[in-house]
Amino acid sequence: MDIFNKIPVMDRTALRELKKGIDSSFKEFSRAYGDGIEGFFDPLLHFLIWLEKLLVNSPWPLVIGVFALLAWIGSRSIKLVIGTVVCFLVIGYFGMWKNCMATVAIISVSTLVCIVVGIPIGIVMSKSARAEKAILPVLDMMQTIPSFVYLIPIIMLLGIGKVPGLLAVCIYALPPIVRLTNLGIREVDKETLEASEAFGATPMQKLRSVQIPLSLPTIFAGINQTIMMALAMVVIASMIGVKGLGVPILQAISNQYLALGMMNGLAIVALAIIFDRVTQQYGQRIQKHRGQLKK
Amino acid sequence: MKIKRILLSLAVVFGLTSFGSVANAACGNITIANMNWASANFMAEVDKIILEEGYGCSVELVPGATMPTFTSMQEKGEPDVAPEFWANAAIIALNKAVDEGKMHSLNKAPITGLGEGWWVLPHTLKKHPELTTAEAILARPDLFPHPEDPSKGGFHICPPGWNCELSNRNLYKAFDMEAKGWAIVETGSAAGLDGSIAKAAERGENWFGYYWSPTAIIGKYDMRAVDMGAWGGKDNWDKCIVLPEQECGDPKATSWTKSEVYTIVTDNFKNTAGSAGMEYFKKRTYPGPVMNGMLVWMGENQAEGADAAIEFLKTQESVWSKWVSSDAAKKIKKAL
Repeated sequence: MDIFNKIPVMDRTALRELKKGIDSSFKEFSRAYGDGIEGFFDPLLHFLIWLEKLLVNSPWPLVIGVFALLAWIGSRSIKLVIGTVVCFLVIGYFGMWKNCMATVAIISVSTLVCIVVGIPIGIVMSKSARAEKAILPVLDMMQTIPSFVYLIPIIMLLGIGKVPGLLAVCIYALPPIVRLTNLGIREVDKETLEASEAFGATPMQKLRSVQIPLSLPTIFAGINQTIMMALAMVVIASMIGVKGLGVPILQAISNQYLALGMMNGLAIVALAIIFDRVTQQYGQRIQKHRGQLKK
Repeated sequence: MKIKRILLSLAVVFGLTSFGSVANAACGNITIANMNWASANFMAEVDKIILEEGYGCSVELVPGATMPTFTSMQEKGEPDVAPEFWANAAIIALNKAVDEGKMHSLNKAPITGLGEGWWVLPHTLKKHPELTTAEAILARPDLFPHPEDPSKGGFHICPPGWNCELSNRNLYKAFDMEAKGWAIVETGSAAGLDGSIAKAAERGENWFGYYWSPTAIIGKYDMRAVDMGAWGGKDNWDKCIVLPEQECGDPKATSWTKSEVYTIVTDNFKNTAGSAGMEYFKKRTYPGPVMNGMLVWMGENQAEGADAAIEFLKTQESVWSKWVSSDAAKKIKKAL
């Protein structure tokens, strides 16, 4: 039986036509709407460029001071503040300051975008089982689809540079914050909710003063994961023309420059550890606060 | 590197076990390097058909890559032919081998109009026909807005880590492009560079930057090479332009170095293929647009070099019939 030995295959020309059709319809779409979509992202681009210029052009002690202050506000741990300062000094000393600031800029903006987009989606998911069912597979896809696949349409639509890079990062980094917002709100204690209802809280009041505050630690874990995943995308983003620590890594890959690759890779690790520890400590502090309230 | 090594060993294994087959009186067994990029793959397939059908040779294609194939040809005399050999990488060793009579470079320009440099899209020239030289283009950064800072011109360079990235950065300095209102566009990867061209071409935007020919991109969008001006000398290029920025203090404006691409054969080829075969390789020159057109055809039809070779021989008789004797041309036509 031939059919058991050979899997049924689409006719070669038909398959080719199908692929061509997909390609050309996407090209038409990009020709028709590309400029508009690009225009839509313009404010984001300007913000990114402004932030990067600000970070690069400000005197370095000031920038490090601001980072130290943020670390202190987040963690209240003097050890972490010292660690942050030392890390940035070392990064600067090894000549990676400019690239590092470019990376910090894109990571901060993409985290911001993810928060602004992700938390509302997470809330919608927690409110409606149907929305959750619809959105979950999309999140799965965003996390697993190889980034090179969506880089092609993004380049066709938006060209190369910061905005397409930002989108690529966000596609990968958005899911954790959505998932954990959803989870956090769903996990809020039923009795607490009932109590608030008993006091006559409207659904909006319930959300704003009960559900979100109580799920903040979980949401914060989501933000933490989002930052980590955004940092993991730095090299991929550099492949479509985003400046930053990814560029020297690509140089190192094609030329087998061991030291260059290691130094920039470790700089990304250092950034990741600082961001991770600060946000985690902050999340824990919120939790502590909640624990005290309960007692 | 690993792939190259595997290919080398493959080349050697295939070469050593050259298969016994119908040896023709006039022409024996020949191995041709089938390099791992589209244009060379296509050329090898065309050579195979022409030598087999027109001259009665028995041709075997062996996988290859520039350096492994060259080393194997030099040391083992196998494969016999490298149809599209980019000689810049091995020019000294090649000249030595040619002097010793171990190898012959039969054709110093198997494809015309080939090489690296700066390019623009044809619709740019239609609107601004004066933009054929680097000088004219660099005077108009406003026509090529940088994606991140539209007040500057965008100059697309090679992805990080490629040798041409360094050359382009130095040329950026040499042509004093910063003062003229230009900024470098980082392309990030081959896909980024190609994508930026495709996007500009589809949307009718202007694009200016580095590319090379023969490639499907050049053919597909009919890109035009920019006249970069006079050649600034070998010392300027080899001792400055190709080095990292900090080692090239005073780069001078120059055209791109000429890419030496040859068809090279081993000395043994003279014996097996005879003067007829040698003559064929000497005459076989693909006009650049024809080659790029075939690469576009391959891309659009997702075809292999072998399919493209048949398509080429069927549709472009006026090109290839000049390469062979009329007798051989008849035989080839009949075989198609």
